[in-house]
This record gives sequence, structure tokens and C-alpha cells, in this order.
Amino acid sequence: MSQEAVARSAAIAAKKKFNWQLWGLLFVLPEIIIFLMFLWIPIVKGVVYSFYNVDFVNGNSFVGLQNYRDVVSSEDFWMAIRNTLYYMFLCVIIGFWVPAVVAIAVSELKRFQGLARVAGYLPSVIPAIVLYGMWVWFYDPIGPINTMLTSLGLEQIDFFSKGMSMVSIVIMETWQNFGGAVLIYIAAIVGIPKDLYEAAEIDGASVWQRIRSITLPSMKPLLILMFLLQIINTSQSFQAQMAMTGGGPDNATLTYLLLMYREAFTYLHFGKATAMGSMLFGVMVVLSFLYLKLQRRSETA
Amino acid sequence: MKPSERGILSEYDFKRTGVKVGYGLMCLLIALIVVSMLYPFVNTFLNSLKTTEEFFAFPAPFFPSKWLWHNYSEALTLIPIWTFLKNTLMIFAGTVVFALLFIGMAAFALSHLRVPFKKWVTLFFLSTLMIPSATYLIPNYLNLQELGLLNSYWAFWLPAGANAFYLMLMKTFFDGIHKELFEAARIDGANEFQCFVRLAMPLSTPIVMTLLIFYFSATWNDFYWPSLVMLDKSMYPLATGIYKYVVYPNSTIQWNVKFALLALSMLPPLVFFLVFQKYITRGLNVSGVKG
Repeated sequence: MSQEAVARSAAIAAKKKFNWQLWGLLFVLPEIIIFLMFLWIPIVKGVVYSFYNVDFVNGNSFVGLQNYRDVVSSEDFWMAIRNTLYYMFLCVIIGFWVPAVVAIAVSELKRFQGLARVAGYLPSVIPAIVLYGMWVWFYDPIGPINTMLTSLGLEQIDFFSKGMSMVSIVIMETWQNFGGAVLIYIAAIVGIPKDLYEAAEIDGASVWQRIRSITLPSMKPLLILMFLLQIINTSQSFQAQMAMTGGGPDNATLTYLLLMYREAFTYLHFGKATAMGSMLFGVMVVLSFLYLKLQRRSETA
Repeated sequence: MKPSERGILSEYDFKRTGVKVGYGLMCLLIALIVVSMLYPFVNTFLNSLKTTEEFFAFPAPFFPSKWLWHNYSEALTLIPIWTFLKNTLMIFAGTVVFALLFIGMAAFALSHLRVPFKKWVTLFFLSTLMIPSATYLIPNYLNLQELGLLNSYWAFWLPAGANAFYLMLMKTFFDGIHKELFEAARIDGANEFQCFVRLAMPLSTPIVMTLLIFYFSATWNDFYWPSLVMLDKSMYPLATGIYKYVVYPNSTIQWNVKFALLALSMLPPLVFFLVFQKYITRGLNVSGVKG
């Protein structure tokens, strides 16, 4: 009798378990299909296509490493890499430290802190394309910035000259993006225990010393993370360059991705473009591997 | 002074002149930054109301002498802005529905249900985080072409759920909901789908709002990808329309009309931002912590 009851409850439990698994499967299945169709298949195809000559009319044909050879032997490719590295360098020099400094300053404000935060974040809200349109005018030879410079008796700046155009774009993007980073940094600064400052002050630490030895070290993990994110993001930049200068003048703002899209959608060399994509992918994998390794080492240390 | 009220500087510091001067300079600098943040918006708006002569006058007047609303009606005839707006909203609405449904269901399953091979499924989702989207954008396009999804809203709706980062955000949030809640519901006869729709989703308003905001700004911002996927002018979302017809190197639209168009297309996100400001800043913290 009791044995029967046990058996029955075991059967019910097994059925319930099966039911649970079924529900679980049912719930993840759509997402698995979507990930497969729109992420994994394109990712694999990207690598496969890079060995093919993609032709919509006559069908694809295997060409081995020809796409890679073509890409590497073109002058634009090396120019694009140089420009992208230059752009990343400028973003670090001009853009990276600004949000951290502003965040420390704003977090010290006693009043109007909310206003400063909202104002800083405002440009991130506006569609990027609208900003590009606005800034093309601000950078114009007769635009507001140059008007101001002449009224101050200074030389005009040709913002879209060969030497200046990349710098102009970086300044604009810093202006556009730094608000979001400021908010993230402020969240970290708010989390620093205030007793640390109190204790440091009692020990006679000056304001600079407090910032240097309490605030900045507390922000360090976040700073490293933001630095890496910035490197990843800026290595893939092309939108501002495309909309504001079209890669010019004289290819001075031709970035890697801009060249890739140009190969794909202007010249319809999809094979070459996917080869460029695969190379970028390879570099990214190596970089993230290095990052993981570094992180592990700092954890064990 | 309570310790929670102090920052790096204490009240005592403000008695020193050096600190006072430095703090004053810092406030001035922040004020300058705030002005430089707001100036372009005000300038764009005022410029959109000027005549062409006034626009190019040197030095340009700050305020237009006569507020020329006519620029806006001219702007509206220049591009089919309502069609573009409708497309943006359609893409946004469908994206949100599909993304929240599929991402939500998967996150719920990974968090509260038994999934066969859970470890492998999680890995299957999360390992895509390591791969930057730019590297597979072109095969993605070719893929959509082969699926026959080009030039339709489905090209945006279906892939909307393919986002491991949002999946992770959602799963982390679901992890915080007590299991007992769902068990009670199950005892009361609810099936898993009801648990998900009636309990998990309503309890997740903060994270849903955050995702809504992310999707909104993505849809509103993205101009390049839609310009590839949408082949007809009548299918362009607003940002793409602006890119194709207003902002491109050597565009010929008059500057004052162009600025009217720019002012128009930044109005909706501005309103959206000011309304949802609280959620946006919170969402940034969520994403910031996760990196």
C-alpha cells in the first residue's frame, strides 16, 4: 500500500520534472533559434565568405586566400589602419580623461548637480546624425566657432583640412559622448565611503592628496573597464567620418570600418569586405584573450 | 556635519582661500561646460528661424530679427517626415515586443526553470558578447537578403532578441525575484507561461524600462544599418531619412531649412529623455556596473 503510494508520488515527481524541463525548453527555444539565425550563422558565414568571391548573379566561387591577399596589398587598407589607430590615440588623448575629471568636479557640487548631469547627458540623447548636421555648421569657415575666433582677433581654423579633420571629429564625439561616462563615474564616486576622506583629512592629507590616493584608486577598476570599452568602440568607428567628411579629404578620415563598408556596399566586393571583418574579428579575439589573461593575473596577485 | 553629507572637501577646507579659489574656478569651468552643452541646441533652434541672409550674416545675430516659422513648413514639404516618423515608431514598437518576449522568456527559463544542458545554452548565448557586431554586419546583411527580409520591418523585429547583453541584464534581474513566489502561483494552478506574463514581467518594470530606453535610443539613433536594409525611401526611419536627404557631404538644402529639420528630429527624443530621465540615469548605472 505505502509502497504503491511512494511509487505513484515518484511517478508524479518524474512527470513534473519532465514537465518542467519541457517548459524550460519551450521558453529558451525561440531565443536559441533567433541567436542561431541572426548571430551564429552570420558569424560563421562571415568567415566562410571571406574565402569566396561573392557574386549574386553567377553564384559564389571559392578563391582561397585571394580576398585576403587583395585587401592586404591595397594601399587604402594600410591608410585605414593608420587612420583608425590615430583616431583611437586622439580619443584617448582628448576624450578619455575628460569624463573622469568632470565627474569628480560635478560630484563636489553642492547645488545644481542635477542640472549639470542632465546638461552633460543631453547630447547623448539626440540622434547622432542630427549632431553631425549641427557640427558641420559649427565647424564651417563662417560658422559660430570661427566667428568667435575672429571676433577675439585670432586666426581662423580650417576644421576640415587634411590635418585637422580627425581632431575635429574627435572633439565633437567627446562633446557628444562624455555625459554618459560622467554619470557612470559619478555612480562610482558616490559609492566611495566618506569616512575615508574624513580619516585622511584628520591625518592632514590635502585635497589633491585625497583625490590622488582615495578617489582615483577607488575608480581604478572602472577606469580600466571604460578604457577597454573605449578602445573597442573607437576601433569600430566610422559613422561620424562617413556623415561629416565622407572619409576625406584625401582619405584623411578613412577608418577601417568605413573602408570595409565602402568595399561592401559601394564596390560590392563582399568577399573582400568579409575578409576585412574576419581580420578585425581575429584582432578582437586576441585582445580580449589578453585582457582575460591580465585580469586573471591581477586577481591572483 | 554628518559624514554622509561631505564629499572630498569638508566644511573645514572651505575656510582656506586656496581651496575657495580652486572651488570657484571649478564651478566656473562646470558652468562653461554646461553652457557649451546647451548652446548648440539653442543655436540650432534659433538658426532654424532665421532668413538665409541672417544665417550667413557676419557676425551672425544670436536671435533672429523675425521668427520665421515658415522654414518649418518648407522643411515638411522637403522630405516625407511623417512617413519616416511612422517607420521609426513601427520599428521601435515591433522591436520592443519581440525583444521583450523572447529575451524575457529565455531569461526567465535560465533563471527559474529547468533547462536541459543549461550550462551549454548559457554559453551559447553569452559567448556572442565577445564578438563585436561590426565584424559580422556584412554577412548579417547577406543573411537577411537570403532570408528575403530586406526592405521589411521584420528585418528589425526578428533579430531584436539576438542580444546577449540585454539577456544577461534581464536574467540578473529575474534572479533577484524569490522562487517561492512562483511556487505559490504554481500551487494555485498557474502554468509557467502565466507565471512569466502575470508575475515575472510586472515585477520587472525597472529593467523593462531600461531596455525600452536602450531600444528607443538605438532605433532613434541608427541611420546607417537601416539605410542598407531598407531599400525604398518609403521604408526609411527618420534618422536614415535625415542622413540620406539632409546631412551628407555636399548637401544642397538651405541651412536655415536644414536646421529646422534637425530641430524637428531632435524634439521627440528630447521630450522622451526629459520624461524618463530618472529611468535613464538608473539604466546607465545598471549597464555601467555590468560593463
